[in-house]
Amino acid sequence: MNSWPGKLLRVDLTRGTWAVEDIDPQLARDYIGGRGLGTKILYDEVDPAVDPLGPDNKLILLTGPLTATGAPASARYMAITKSPLTGAIASSNSGGYFPAELRYAGFNGIILEGASDKPVALWIKDGEVELKPADDLWGKTSEETEDAIRDQIEDDWEAKATRIACIGPAGENMARLACIINDTHRAAGRSGVGAVMGSKKLKAIVVRGTQGVQTADFPEFKAAVKTAMQKLASGPVTSQGLPTYGTAILVNIINECGILPTHNFQKGMFAGASKISGESIAENIMTRNKGCFACSIACARMTVIEEGKYAGHGEGPEYETVELMGADCGIDDLAPIAKANYLCNFYGLDSISAACTVATAMELYEKGYIPREDAGMDLSFGNPDALVGLIEQMGKGEGLGKIAMHGSWFLANHYGHTELSMDVKKQEIPAYDPRGVQGMGLTYATSNRGGCHVRGYTIANEVLGVHEKLDPLVTEGKAATVKVFQDLTALVDSSGLCLFVTLTPGFGFDDMQAMIKGATGFDYTVHEVIVASERIWNLEKLFNMKAGFTRADDTLPKRLLEEPLTEGGPKGQVCRLHEMLPEYYELRGWDENGVPKPELLERLGLQA
Amino acid sequence: MKKILVDYKKCTGCRQCETACSASHFDGEVNPEKSRIRVYIDEENSLFHPVISGPFTNAHCTSKNIVIMDGVEYDECVVCRASCPGRPWFFEPGTKIALKCDFCGDPPDPQCVAICAHGALQLIDDLGVSRIRKQKKKTA
Repeated sequence: MNSWPGKLLRVDLTRGTWAVEDIDPQLARDYIGGRGLGTKILYDEVDPAVDPLGPDNKLILLTGPLTATGAPASARYMAITKSPLTGAIASSNSGGYFPAELRYAGFNGIILEGASDKPVALWIKDGEVELKPADDLWGKTSEETEDAIRDQIEDDWEAKATRIACIGPAGENMARLACIINDTHRAAGRSGVGAVMGSKKLKAIVVRGTQGVQTADFPEFKAAVKTAMQKLASGPVTSQGLPTYGTAILVNIINECGILPTHNFQKGMFAGASKISGESIAENIMTRNKGCFACSIACARMTVIEEGKYAGHGEGPEYETVELMGADCGIDDLAPIAKANYLCNFYGLDSISAACTVATAMELYEKGYIPREDAGMDLSFGNPDALVGLIEQMGKGEGLGKIAMHGSWFLANHYGHTELSMDVKKQEIPAYDPRGVQGMGLTYATSNRGGCHVRGYTIANEVLGVHEKLDPLVTEGKAATVKVFQDLTALVDSSGLCLFVTLTPGFGFDDMQAMIKGATGFDYTVHEVIVASERIWNLEKLFNMKAGFTRADDTLPKRLLEEPLTEGGPKGQVCRLHEMLPEYYELRGWDENGVPKPELLERLGLQA
Repeated sequence: MKKILVDYKKCTGCRQCETACSASHFDGEVNPEKSRIRVYIDEENSLFHPVISGPFTNAHCTSKNIVIMDGVEYDECVVCRASCPGRPWFFEPGTKIALKCDFCGDPPDPQCVAICAHGALQLIDDLGVSRIRKQKKKTA
């Protein structure tokens, strides 16, 4: 029997009750799953003006029709909610083993509503559900939480096979940068989804499943998977670059392009770049590379810092983290960066936003806006103890961390200098300076969840030339590129696959359509899945509009629009967003204020 | 005779072999619990070890060896191929029937080997134990 659309678990944390529901097949067809279906559920059930940390917000965890099916990189789930960081829609993605285990346990997703008044943990085993008190887990880090939960399971093999998603102390403290950690090292990282879980006093979700996942037409599905896997195996990024050096292979490449954010985006090149590169990670701190469930790319790095005050072990750092904790904070030593990254995973902080926030704090401090007595330490750029120290404070909600744990905008706002926060819609911008890669500027400005690179990763074409090589300094044609990347990403995120499959030459909507069709049994055409991906993007947009977002929010920090870069290829450049945004709106079928036109909404079936 | 060469040092812990095995033996059902190959995962020590199911035994061992891999001591169960009452691997959930690797395909084309992207599993001609050892030395 086909496992999609399958079942959803709806948990009312206020009452401590739950119900099992069938996913409406028509909704599943129109919104694919994962990010798309989660957005639809959130849009239908939650007022976009709701207090994100109040009991009326819902947290929706959804896999996609390809999750756990053995399709390449089919390890992912999405956490969808209203973000406490941005106030916009949040949809954060994570892999590892947890999402697949959830499907094997009989549920394709979980809707969490209400709020418990005491800490609880949600236990799921093969369709059976239990809410257990979790007072003893409250206050524990992600690693300690996993250990404590496994200790409660009598059979060692069973304990080992159990998969856990949880929040750390940051989520408990409702830090707006809190993430949901699964499998200790994987994070549904961005937009503060962990704070929403914390507001519901849900510490952990414990999953074990022995049921299988059945695709609708296995021969058809298998053929589509084979084609996709062959493409992955022949793409240099997915078969060599990422397996060997991980995402941090980008450090040297991006530095050479002059777009490596340095000292809180004051510069685009960093002298110590090679010391924090993927090559350096592989040579100095990596023990193994690792794959998420059913993923041949195996980009994860298992790393260890053997000795010294930064000793520790875990996974990562990934490119964004190593770049932002490194160059953006002026630090060229892997040990403190790896340590700070481990701490982010243990406390449950989004390492991208946390790193950007430290960089902002450093600039605020150097400019004299954060007084020494508030900082409690020397927050100068390049001080590794400041990076590790402030991240620790943010994780624990102590000292300056009490403010910084809410992100760079809240920190900069506290000290009256929001112009030094490098964010879009209050969410921190990742590690590509859009002044030297124009399409990314448009991606950041128009991302429905605020500053984010994985909503339309045009670096693939503008820098890496995966599908075609584009000039990064040109704005012409970028609106169309951004739109296609955004739509394809919406589809991938909804399917349960990892975005990295799109870093394969020739991988596109047709590959996705073939796999999704085989898995779901819906006779999708390529046209239908493209329309579905547009529908998803536009529904997110509608949610944000109802939450109060306007054209004025589709912008970048003043620094990136007005202060030119000073060195390298993009010397003298700013991000020329104004040249791209109107064209983008037009291509999307939106009016000049970025509002979807009635005929578009009708075409997508989104009319009121 | 064909053999499967398992090189655990190349395994990335992705468990794609588990999905391929179960799907090919159970009419498209992807279910690691029904797979005749399981990956032992020890994240703390960065160890992944694929284990392919062998014969069924109806009792626990009365004594066991300790296996050292990458300098870490492991219980022999970690690499043992038997389906036995001491470990939940290789028993079909529900029926509890013991599952044994059948070198699927004719000629043998084990689906776990076919899907492994990192060379942790390879189908080789039977070289004899000594030949394998020699080859390893040559490449080392």
